[in-house]
Formats: sequence, structure tokens, C-alpha cells
Amino acid sequence: MRAARRGSARRVVVMAAIASLGAGLLAGCADDGNDEDSSSSGDSSGKTTITLGLFGTMGFKEAGLYDEYEKLNPDINIEENVTERNENYYPALVNHLTTNSGLQDVQAIEVGNIAEVVATQADKFEDMSKAAGVQKGNWLDWKWQQATTKDGATIGLGTDIGPMAICYRKDLFEKAGLPTDRDEVSKMWAGDWNKFIEAGEKYKKGAGKDTYFMDSPGGLINAILSSEKEKFYDASGKVIYKTNPAVKDAFDLTAEAAEKGLVQSQTQFQPAWDQTISNSLFATVACPPWMLGTIKAKSQPESAGKWDVAQAPKSGNWGGTFLGVPKGGKHVKEAQKLITWLTAPEQQAKLFSKMGSFPSAPAAYKLPQVTGGKNDMTGDAPIGELFAKAAEQIPTQVIGPKDQIVQQGLTDNGVILVTQGKSAKDAWNNAVKTIDNNLEK
Amino acid sequence: MTTRHDTAASPVKGGAAPGRPPGGNTSAEADHKRRAKLSRRWQRDMRWSPYAFVSPFFLLFLAFGLFPLIYTGWASLHTVELTAPTDMKWTGFDNYTRIFDDEFFWNAAKNTLWIGIISTVPQLLMAMGLAHILNYKLRGSTFYRVVMLAPYATSIAAASLVFVLLFGRDYGMINWALDLVGLDKIDWQNGSWASKFAVSTIVIWRWTGYNALIYLAAMQAIPQDLYESAALDGASRWRQFIHVTLPSLRPTILFTVVVSTIGASQVFGEPLLFDANKGASGGSQHQFQTLGLYLYEQGWVNQHLGRASAIAWAMFLILIVIGIINAVISRRLRASS
Amino acid sequence: MTTTMTKPPADAAPEPSRRGRRRSKAARAGGTLHAGPIAYIILALFTIGSLFPLVWSAIAASRDNQRLAQTPPPFWFGGNLFDKLEIAWKDANLGEAFLNTTIVAGISSLTIVFLSTIAGFAFAKLRFRGRNALMLIVIGTMMVPPQLSIIPLYQLVAKLDWSDQLQAVILPSLVNAFGVFFMRQYLLQALPDEVIEAARVDGASSWRVVWHVVFPAARPAMAVLGMLMFVQSWNDFLWPFLVLTQNGSPTVQVALAGLGRGYTPDQSLIMAGALLGTLPLLLVFAIFGKQIVGGIMQGAVKG
Repeated sequence: MRAARRGSARRVVVMAAIASLGAGLLAGCADDGNDEDSSSSGDSSGKTTITLGLFGTMGFKEAGLYDEYEKLNPDINIEENVTERNENYYPALVNHLTTNSGLQDVQAIEVGNIAEVVATQADKFEDMSKAAGVQKGNWLDWKWQQATTKDGATIGLGTDIGPMAICYRKDLFEKAGLPTDRDEVSKMWAGDWNKFIEAGEKYKKGAGKDTYFMDSPGGLINAILSSEKEKFYDASGKVIYKTNPAVKDAFDLTAEAAEKGLVQSQTQFQPAWDQTISNSLFATVACPPWMLGTIKAKSQPESAGKWDVAQAPKSGNWGGTFLGVPKGGKHVKEAQKLITWLTAPEQQAKLFSKMGSFPSAPAAYKLPQVTGGKNDMTGDAPIGELFAKAAEQIPTQVIGPKDQIVQQGLTDNGVILVTQGKSAKDAWNNAVKTIDNNLEK
Repeated sequence: MTTRHDTAASPVKGGAAPGRPPGGNTSAEADHKRRAKLSRRWQRDMRWSPYAFVSPFFLLFLAFGLFPLIYTGWASLHTVELTAPTDMKWTGFDNYTRIFDDEFFWNAAKNTLWIGIISTVPQLLMAMGLAHILNYKLRGSTFYRVVMLAPYATSIAAASLVFVLLFGRDYGMINWALDLVGLDKIDWQNGSWASKFAVSTIVIWRWTGYNALIYLAAMQAIPQDLYESAALDGASRWRQFIHVTLPSLRPTILFTVVVSTIGASQVFGEPLLFDANKGASGGSQHQFQTLGLYLYEQGWVNQHLGRASAIAWAMFLILIVIGIINAVISRRLRASS
Repeated sequence: MTTTMTKPPADAAPEPSRRGRRRSKAARAGGTLHAGPIAYIILALFTIGSLFPLVWSAIAASRDNQRLAQTPPPFWFGGNLFDKLEIAWKDANLGEAFLNTTIVAGISSLTIVFLSTIAGFAFAKLRFRGRNALMLIVIGTMMVPPQLSIIPLYQLVAKLDWSDQLQAVILPSLVNAFGVFFMRQYLLQALPDEVIEAARVDGASSWRVVWHVVFPAARPAMAVLGMLMFVQSWNDFLWPFLVLTQNGSPTVQVALAGLGRGYTPDQSLIMAGALLGTLPLLLVFAIFGKQIVGGIMQGAVKG
């Protein structure tokens, strides 16, 4: 047939395609084989490779802790597998845990997920309270309890926490006629979030329309809720966010701040919010130590040294992580040893000085890396001491598996609407509808 | 659509037929002999080869496509969470009946419909126009073919950062331009229509080149003879486009319409990236939450596997109903004309 | 957008030259008519719109976080581009990721093209019992939202113990109804029945018809499908992220998922990684784009 003869060139192309397909398949299989060998049971030098599954905020490698551990333990090799966003990391982790496959030797768990992991996946993790060298007394008690089941099994060791203070702009406060000394500022609103709003009104009178008192409604409601002993769940594990007066009060107070124009109409961590940092458009932000890192990364150089850190009206915690060892990992013993070392006070202090992650082990607060902690944005302020003070006042809060969903609903489907002109009541209803729908199984 | 190919293919047939030399008669007898000899093999070939050709797809489908389908169907009849996928509690059709009262589902359905219309129609029209232009002799045609798929190849990270900045309320470039010509700023993320329009813009941006490429490939297959005879009849370029290009493309147009409709029903990445830091609620009042995004929110964020499965099947059923209505209408239209 | 539709650039090339060119190169199907200036203007606008985010991600990669947060955001390149690209390359271990992704995307797109072409041919041109029902199943599988199916699919892959192996990404991706449907519709239009009949008369078996008639006729569509599937596979995130790890055999998107880590993600590093991840695709487009430049069809159709 004629097409056949004419098509010899074409045939070559097709043949080449098929050939490369076959070659690719072979290559693919060969490649897989190699990978499995190298990652599972150590490389040719006989070292054991421990793998860590982490999400964005850790920084052990950057702080040089792996190198140090590998030097101390020459037969150990450490590899990490990092996902920048916990929104991607956590659902994958859940899938891996429920199927008991694809797990790393160590898995990180964010504080927003820890209650759910404790409630639903505890049997997949080693009980770290029984591991050699682990001393419960090293950690803040509430941090230890967050990762402990009702039966007393501790599925993860705490790394960092986020003791919350209020970071404020000294120059803007001065212009608005507010005190600038951190002790005076702390005293101005000590013990009561209402006083914080009052200070905001004073600020607004003095500063006029160019800047806002606070960065966002989400930051404010989060700060208030973090300082409560109970927020969305009660101790028995029942969802009480709708009836808990503390939640409604926090919502109403934030709505009031929004109605009075004290908070920007922004959502934290969106590019537009970043731009308000860059343009120095607000005077305060609820501020765990890591927030100073965010401020530094988004600010103009001339803002350096203009910030200071005051105590929050009531102290609370925002952020933090745990490290756990899944039973399905390949090197359980070695992994336990590694995380015991990584979360010891000395290492936590090093992590603070290099990465700004605040220790969850109080013994670290006396170490020079913490007491001498400073940040470019806050000049000479002894931030290590200031945040340590906040850390010691953090209440033991009841946390629940779906805290994040409730919080997101109150913020992104709630108080933000007040800044867009909705009434507090409509915003609350919108938030409640969203949350209830999201919680319903 | 399965019967339509006869009419659609006819112009091609007409075009190609003159091209075949009338020399087939002499070899016909020899062929006949050979065919008799091989007739049994021939018949077996004719009968079974179609199945051989389609079997790889269906075998793979049995291996990797069917289980998820059955699983989600089964899960949709249960209360089951992502945290314990094997721990199922039978609830019958509860997950389906509750959809009727689920205002978030219907809100998402409405949004999906509007975003689908705002994005698909201009997208396919533009794609057709672009393909038509690219079908001309052009300088640097390879370059344009690269450009066409660049949006589709751009990573979500890059695209989301760019579009969130472009559509920013306070400092966005689009509002800056609006301001420049004396118009009011628009709150692109929070406005009900503004946000749907913005999300549709991202959809159009990402998929126009994709569809244009599909049209272009189909245009390349239109035999030149058709244009030739149309030109001899004095048809203008526009009339050639209407009377030659479009009828020849009918199977492909049908394809893009079906695929875009299905794609529009599943739109998910664009609304997600338009509000990347706020989870999957599609705006503070769910103003641009699509069904695909709602499904993702229920399944991956809220971890309600059973509910999400029911939503997926409900979407599937809605598409089938749309398909049936479409088929009935087009049959009526054809019958009346 | 209506302007692109209504007016094919008016009479850019005079009739005679058009004919002459067609005669001299009969193999060119579409590229006979020259494009006019309006066509180039439209294409220029289209190019700007399409490339803007890509170019901007290069600009973003060349800046730092502070500058990106400023208003207005930067419109031109800063000095950090190559530093950031280098860091991103090393940090995400992109060399190995490129290799893996090339294997994954290459095998799946080639296989999809091959399987879709033969299946599409059968659905378009061959008669067999159950054809319409099977075709409806094919289209039906496209309607299943992929975001959800991957959860049970992962259970399957976990049972098979395929985690961190490339076939866990390749094999499920081969279930591709889009390709089958695409090829069917294309071949309905592009492959006249006469050509197949002629080959049959010559005594060709079905395989020979596929080899010598269908493949040549389908080449532009195969190139397009191959490109689309290659990109899709290359950029796929949710599923590879579930089955692969960065220290095992990551694809590019899995490798990039860890970039910019820290409480304050380094946006410019993320952008640098995104840019690096996209460049190979553009290269592939350039290569395959040529395959559909046109006219390859004519010889095949006339058989």
C-alpha cells in the first residue's frame, strides 16, 4: 500500500517513540529499585539513615543541629523531607498514618492538629514518655499534656511554642501621644482586652486616619481567644464555641474594634497584608517571637529598631510543633533517640538563637542563647527575656480536634466581614453557619 | 454524539475522494483471491481488533479507576472521616438527602454555573479565533505555540501570587489602572460578581491557549481542497471560515464543549489559588466557592470523606442530567430542522 | 475577543502568491495564507497576557521579600535572580527531580498518546458491539472529580506497597479518558473512511491500518495530546505529593513543595523554584510545537 511506503519516515518516528517508551519503563523500574535500597536501610558505608517529615516552620537543618548530631553519632545519617505549607503536609500525613505507608521515621505535628492526632491516630505513634532519656519535667506542663492521650501515652515531644506579646511601633505610638516605654505600655492594658481597645481609641484620636491601631481583625480575635482557658471545646471534648461566653465576648470585642476602625480590613499573611507592613500602616500586632521574623522579612530597612515588645493584656500561645515517631517507621529506636536530643533544652535554645523558634522547655530560658536574644526590628529590647515572661503566664488551654476550622470560620467568615461593613450580628451568623456546616460529619 | 460523525466527516470525504486515483479496479481480483484465503483470519481480526484496541484503557480503568469509584460510592452511604477511612457507619442516603438542604452546596452549584458560563464561552470563542490566526502562515509560529501553553505550564505558586497582586483591593494593578481612568476601585475578592469575574479571568487565562492548540490541530487536518473549491466559488475568507472550517471542526468543537463543561463543573485550582491563604471556603461569604472547591473543602480540609463522596456523586448525577437534557434538545432541534 | 473571531485579517496576501505557494509546497495545509497585521497585533496582545505572570515570577525571583511587599510591586528585574535560581536548584535537589519527572511525564504521555490513539481509532472508525456504551463509560470517567478519588487510590497503592516508587505515579495516570475522547473526535474528522477501506482492500490487518494509516493521520493530534499530557503530568501535585517523598524519588512539584520554608516563606525563592520547574516545559513545547506546524496531514489523507 502506498501510504506505507511514503510513511517510512513517519514509521521511524513512531518506532522511536515506542522504543523510548520501553526504555523509559526499564529506566523507571531500575530507578525505583535503587531508590528503595538507598533510602530504607542505610547506604554503602553502613550508616543508618533517619528521615524526618517536617513542614515549613522547623529549621533544624538550617540551625546546624543535624550536623551536630551526626558528629556525635557517626553511624547516623539524617535526611529531611520538608513541605512548606502545613495545609499540604497534614492531610498527606493523615493518609499516610491511616494506611501505615509512606511514613518517615519522625513526623512533625502542628499544634493546630495535635488534638486531632492524639484523638484519632495515637495508636500509630510510639509513646515517647517511655523512651530513654525523656523527662516530662523538661517541658512546660501544658505543652506536654497537649500531646498526651487520656491513657497517658505521649505521642510527640514539644519543640517550639509561640508565647504571645504585643509588638508595637514606638514611633507611631509617640506620634499618637501614647507611652512608648514597654513597661508603661504593658501597664496601660494589663489584664484586660477592653483596655487594649481603649488604648486603640486613644491611638486613633491621636494618629488620625493615616494608620490603624492593629493589623487585622483575625490577629486580634486570635490573641484574645488564645488567652482563654476554654475556647471551642470543653474538657470533656464537647464543642461549646457557640455557647462559651468567652468566644462570643472575643468576637464582639473584635467586631467593636472593627466598627470603630481600629483594625485594618486585612487577612493575615496575604500579600496585601504584607504590603501594610512594608508601608508601616499599623501600630500593633499580636506577636509571638516568630512574628518578628515576618515583620523583618516584609519591612523596609528604615523600620529597623522602631518596634518594641510589650506584654499582652493576657498571655496566650500561638503556634508550635511536636515531633512524633510513627510505629510504622523503619528506625524507631534511633528516631526516638534523635528527637529526644533535638527537643532537649540546649538544642531548643540553639534553635531560638538561629531561627527564632521559642523553646517549650523552661530550662532553656536561662541559657545565654535565650537571655541574650535580640532582633533587628526591636533594637536593644531583650526579647528572649520578654517572651520568656509571657511563656510562663500562658494558661493551660483546652484544645480540640477541629480548633482550626472553628478559628478559621470566626476569622475569615466572621470578623473580617465587620471590617467590610456588615453588622456584628450578621458576621457572627455567617461564621456560625459556616463552622457548623464544616464540623458536621 | 455517537451518530453525528457521519455528517461531520462528510466534507472530509468529499474532499478526499477526488484525490483517490480510479485505479483500484485492476488489483481488485487479486485482492479478492487473497482475501478468500485469509478470510478466517480476516474475520477474526475485524471482529476482535476493536476490543483489543480499547482494552488497554479499560484494563487500566479496572485496575486504577474502578476501585476509587466504588469506594467513593460506598463511602457516600456512610459517615466516614479521613482520619479513619475504614471506620464506616452506615447512614443510607442521608448524605444525599441532606444535600437538598445544604445551602453551601447550592451556593457552590450556582457559583459553578456562573463561573462556568463567564469563563467557558469567551474562552472557547477566543481559542477558536486564535487557532484561526495561528493557522495562517506566520513568522515565529513555533514561538506562539510555546506561548499558548505557557499559562497552563505556569506553576500555581507563581500564578496565585501574580493574580492576587493584580486583583488586590488597595494596591492591585487593576484597581490602580481603574483609578487612573477615574473609576472606583473594586473589591475583587469580596464582591460577589467581582470575585466570580476575577476567578473566571484566571480560568480564561489558563485554558484559552490549551483549547486553541486543540482547535489548531484539528484545523491542520482540513484538506486544502475544500478551501480551494470554496475560493473558486468566490467565497470570502470569512465565508470560508463559516462554511468550511467550522463544519469540519464539528467533532472537535463538540469535544471541547463537552470537556470544558466537565472541566467547568470541576473548577477548583483557580478559586483555591485566588484566595490561597484562606483555606477552601472560596471567600468570606463563599462568593466564589465552586463545587470542586466545596468538595475539596469537605474532603481534604474538613476530612468528611462520606459527605464529600456524596457531593462528588451528586455532581456526577447533575452532569448526567445536563447531558441528557442536552441530547434531548439537540435531537428535537435536528428533528424540527 | 469578538474581534479575533469576526475578521480574519483582511486580504493580507494577494491571491496569486497564495496559490503559487500552495503549489510549490503542497504539503502545507493551513499555513497557506499569510497573516495580516491585525493578526500580529492580536498575537502580540495574547503573548503579553500569557507570558506576563511567567515574566513576573522571574522578576519576583530576582527580588527579596522586602521589595515584593512594597507598593507598587517591582516591574523590573533586581540583582538576585541567578543567586536565587542557584539556591533553589540546590535546595530542592532539582537535578534528580528533573530526571524523575522526565521519566514520569515521558512515559505517561507517550503511553497515553499511544493507547488513546488506538482506542480513539476503534471508537471513531470501527464497528463493534457495545461501542456506544463503552464510549459513554469513557466519558463518564472524566466526570469523576480527581480530588476525591486519590484518597481511595492511595489506599490501593499503599496495599501494593508502592509508596515512593515512580510507577505509583505513572500507572494511575494512564487511565485517561480525555485522551481517548480527544483522539476519537479528531479521527472522526481527520481520517476519511475511504483511506481505511483502501488499506483493507489491500489486505492490511487492523494493526497494519493503525500503523500505516492511523498514526500518520493522527500525528498533529498526537503531538498536541502528548504536549498537554506531558504538562499535566509535570505539574501534577496532589497525587505525587501523597506517594513520593523528597528524599526518595520526588517529581519536580514534590521537590518544590519544600522551598521557601520558614515561618516567613521566602517568596522570591519559591518563585525561583517555580520558574526553574517551568523552563523544561517551555523547551518541550518548542520541540513538539514544530510537530504540528502543519501540512503533515495532507500526504496521509490522500493515501
